[in-house]
Amino acid sequence: MPPAETSSSTATRARPFRDGLLTLQPLRLLGSRCTACDCAVFPARTFCPACRAATVDPVELSPVGRVHSFTVVRQAPPDVEVPYTLAWIDLPTDRVRLMAQVVGVPPEEVTLDMPVELEPAPFGVDDTGSELVGFRFRTSAGVSS
Amino acid sequence: MSLAPAHVAGVGMTRFGKYPADVTLESMAVTAARSALADAGAELSAVDGLYVGHVFGGPVAGQRIAARLGLDGRPVSNLENYCASGATAIREAWIALSAGLHDVVLVIGVEKMTDRIAGGVRPDPGDLDAAIGYVMAAGHAMSARRYMADHGATRDQIAAVAVKNHAHSVHNPFAQYQKPITLAQVLDARPIAEPLGLLDCSPISDGAAAVLLCTRSGLRRLGLDATGPRVRGVGLVSGSVQTGLNDLNAEDVSHRAGQEAWRLSEVGPDDIDVVEMHDCFTIAEIVRMEGLGLVPRGRGAAWAADGETALGGRLPVNPSGGLLSRGHPVGATGAAQVCELTWQLRGAAGGRQVDGARAALAYCKGGTVNGTDGGSVTTVVMTA
Repeated sequence: MPPAETSSSTATRARPFRDGLLTLQPLRLLGSRCTACDCAVFPARTFCPACRAATVDPVELSPVGRVHSFTVVRQAPPDVEVPYTLAWIDLPTDRVRLMAQVVGVPPEEVTLDMPVELEPAPFGVDDTGSELVGFRFRTSAGVSS
Repeated sequence: MSLAPAHVAGVGMTRFGKYPADVTLESMAVTAARSALADAGAELSAVDGLYVGHVFGGPVAGQRIAARLGLDGRPVSNLENYCASGATAIREAWIALSAGLHDVVLVIGVEKMTDRIAGGVRPDPGDLDAAIGYVMAAGHAMSARRYMADHGATRDQIAAVAVKNHAHSVHNPFAQYQKPITLAQVLDARPIAEPLGLLDCSPISDGAAAVLLCTRSGLRRLGLDATGPRVRGVGLVSGSVQTGLNDLNAEDVSHRAGQEAWRLSEVGPDDIDVVEMHDCFTIAEIVRMEGLGLVPRGRGAAWAADGETALGGRLPVNPSGGLLSRGHPVGATGAAQVCELTWQLRGAAGGRQVDGARAALAYCKGGTVNGTDGGSVTTVVMTA
């Protein structure tokens, strides 16, 4: 379920940090799906990397995934706050793997194959003061829904 | 397909390390270049063109170097393929020689990092991964965690790569570090991106390496015979967009780079006696050797721990100390690997000599691109 950051009061002034990457109402990642071989990818591309067909359709990807691998980043360039948990997230429904940060449990409690759900992540503000919204995943194990 | 080999007339490099501000990109490149020319007994006037690999050197760094060195006026090409930049310069030089464009060319790989890079390297700011919080160490850490889960490998086995490579560099006067480390030191080091710690990561370094490459007529111009090592071919591939939920450590990009190397050089994987492998992180050496097909899938960590990839082992990897211990000035690394393999194939590598080395492979991987299995990969095949 969507956390508090997507309340309607902020949603009116919020927009994705990159066009075409995600929708906010509801929160979904935007990929592309090949009309020939059905392969889905994220982010969306104009071609199918699996079969090289040039005909793809936009697709909203499943918000439910699992941790395929992860790390706790303890050192990063000076402008990046550490620590944070970075993971390869598999979306089994769409057979898509993508990189994202994971929140919801302490880093030492993240495990391989842990279930996670998509949620918005604050990404600063743009020149006009609109909130920019990115994405991350929250561990769904043990969270009531 | 077979292009003529490029003969190595001379090699030279600076010791890699952290140097003060007055040791500049240009001055390091000049030092390495003069060393390579002296190794060949060649005069600057013999050089037809200059190929320079660098990442952070800024516009026309190669021409700045040429003007300092005395090669002003010659054709100069600047090559950037992130950590494969130096090897990409070797490839372009080899192509120019085999095409008959030049007969004697100088390749320089150079990087000044310690005054401009802190906390590790990362993708271009425009790449989606950078926005997500990707740093290079994180990608390799996720590779390591999955590798351990999939193959039953241990943290100690992965750490053994660092112990091995630091042991090798004790004998390398050009290495940033020249002292052995213990397994406990690797395991107890400050965590960078778990499970990897500081000693699983190559350092941020300054340095330059240079290689003088020739055609056969170029060798005659220099008064040299053709008995020295040669570059038989240089593969270059790029990462491809990944789909599905496959093995995170499939290393298809390394497999394809290997296939290119064997195709271009007409040397086979079974012929290789020694490898200079891009061990930017401990786990990277393991999975890339497996991707090339030089180590059985899932066995690389055990091979490292059992000494199979150490000097005296079945297939020595990184006798120089590799990136972990020689240091990793990113644009210089590919040229430094060719310097090392030249010494190995001449039988001139001293205490780190691989006995009877006749054929060698150098592998570099540079950069990452969102959604792909890498930026660029180069594979240099050399024979004695």
